[in-house]
Amino acid sequence: MKDKEFNNIFDECLERIVLDGETLEYCLKLYPEQADELKPLLETVLAVKEASSVEPRPEFRARARYQFRSALQEKAAPRRRPFLGWVPRWATALAIVLVVLMAGGGTVAAASNSMPDSILYPVKLATENVQLALTTSDIGEARLCAGFADRRVAEIIYMADMGDARQIERITERLDDRLEMLVVLVSELDGEQAPSFLMESTGDSSGAGEPPDSGDSDTANGAPTEPPPSATVDEGGWGKGHHGQAQNRAGLTVSVAGSASNNHSVMQAMLEEVPPSVKEALLEAIAVLENGYGKVLQALQ
Amino acid sequence: MQGEESLVRRAQNNDQEAFARLYEEYFDKIYRYLALRVGNEMEAEDMTQQVFLNALQSISSFRWKGVPFSAWLYRIAHNQAVDHLRKKTKRPSVPLDESLISSGDNPHSTAELKMNIEQLLVAAKRLTEAQREVISLRFTSELSIAKVAKVMGKSEGAVKALQHSAIVALRRTMLVTE
Repeated sequence: MKDKEFNNIFDECLERIVLDGETLEYCLKLYPEQADELKPLLETVLAVKEASSVEPRPEFRARARYQFRSALQEKAAPRRRPFLGWVPRWATALAIVLVVLMAGGGTVAAASNSMPDSILYPVKLATENVQLALTTSDIGEARLCAGFADRRVAEIIYMADMGDARQIERITERLDDRLEMLVVLVSELDGEQAPSFLMESTGDSSGAGEPPDSGDSDTANGAPTEPPPSATVDEGGWGKGHHGQAQNRAGLTVSVAGSASNNHSVMQAMLEEVPPSVKEALLEAIAVLENGYGKVLQALQ
Repeated sequence: MQGEESLVRRAQNNDQEAFARLYEEYFDKIYRYLALRVGNEMEAEDMTQQVFLNALQSISSFRWKGVPFSAWLYRIAHNQAVDHLRKKTKRPSVPLDESLISSGDNPHSTAELKMNIEQLLVAAKRLTEAQREVISLRFTSELSIAKVAKVMGKSEGAVKALQHSAIVALRRTMLVTE
């Protein structure tokens, strides 16, 4: 009975000190008869409380948050990825005209070099969608997607350098979309047969399926220039039969693995230089990148 | 947490925003609880992620019948910890990583704090499972006695007795190692 009473007093003091912020001395004054027994125990509680105030690592926090959000989205509704991501209609229309009539011209090149704070950026995104739409093979689309993912990373680096966390978050979503699309395309590679007209292609890079040359991108701080999408429909040639497919897959694997490693290194290095205000957004981007490339490489294996 | 019941109901109706808010509210607390229970950073991280994925899968089964959402969530974490510890034949002897320690500007106080965390882990290993759980729930997650009782499936009196005996044991061990 005495123990029970003491336990109640002890717990009341704990509530007062730990949860209500009262001082230890205040509690001891409330129970002078038990003060000698209470004091060392309450001191221990305070030491335990202080010692156990561990925090999750920021990298873990960002990775876990991304994975949880992905799981949330999957649970809410198995969404069907729109083939053409959302961009303004005017940009899509302009992109189609540019790609079809002026492929390789200066305007397309200027748009492809643009960064998210540029007025031409919607044209850049629309151009990418048009290029994907005009590409008829999964391997071609996969190579385009891989190149577009590289572009998103370069844009993230650029916006991190500009200190714009909101833009980093938006581009990270686009990076996630590109990598997810890449997973789908890679999964569909097996058994794909090259269309006959492509089998005879000479690898002319001026066709509509060709992504525009990105040229030099104006990134600061040692950020990489924006890499061009690495492939056209027929770049690298279509192998005939299973041997050719295996070659395509192997080539893509090497390319994606290289991009994954390079992009990760660049973003990690950037992490050291950015202001605290964009650090969390950049960490989340890194988590998306790790997770996305991980899935792609797994699908390729 | 204000409006928690409303948030939980929305989460049960597939409201992503509501579940995301619950996640942000409890993420650090669940991590701290598991970190102290298993004493290993990487394992605590993996288990924390799994707790929230499990919660996401089974949120529709949660019912407001005198059991607060936090107690339900900690119950998932508790089950994870119990399964994990059961599978382990040896208790981990990995020292706590620097990153487990709350950052502080004063290197001296950081060193002291690290010592305290290590002391606490060493001391906690000498507690019974039930004592360690009470300490973890009460002082890292700041749950009330009533909620701890719900999580552990014990009476409030039993939890108070465990709390008392655990603190006495911790005091004794920490004094010896000082």
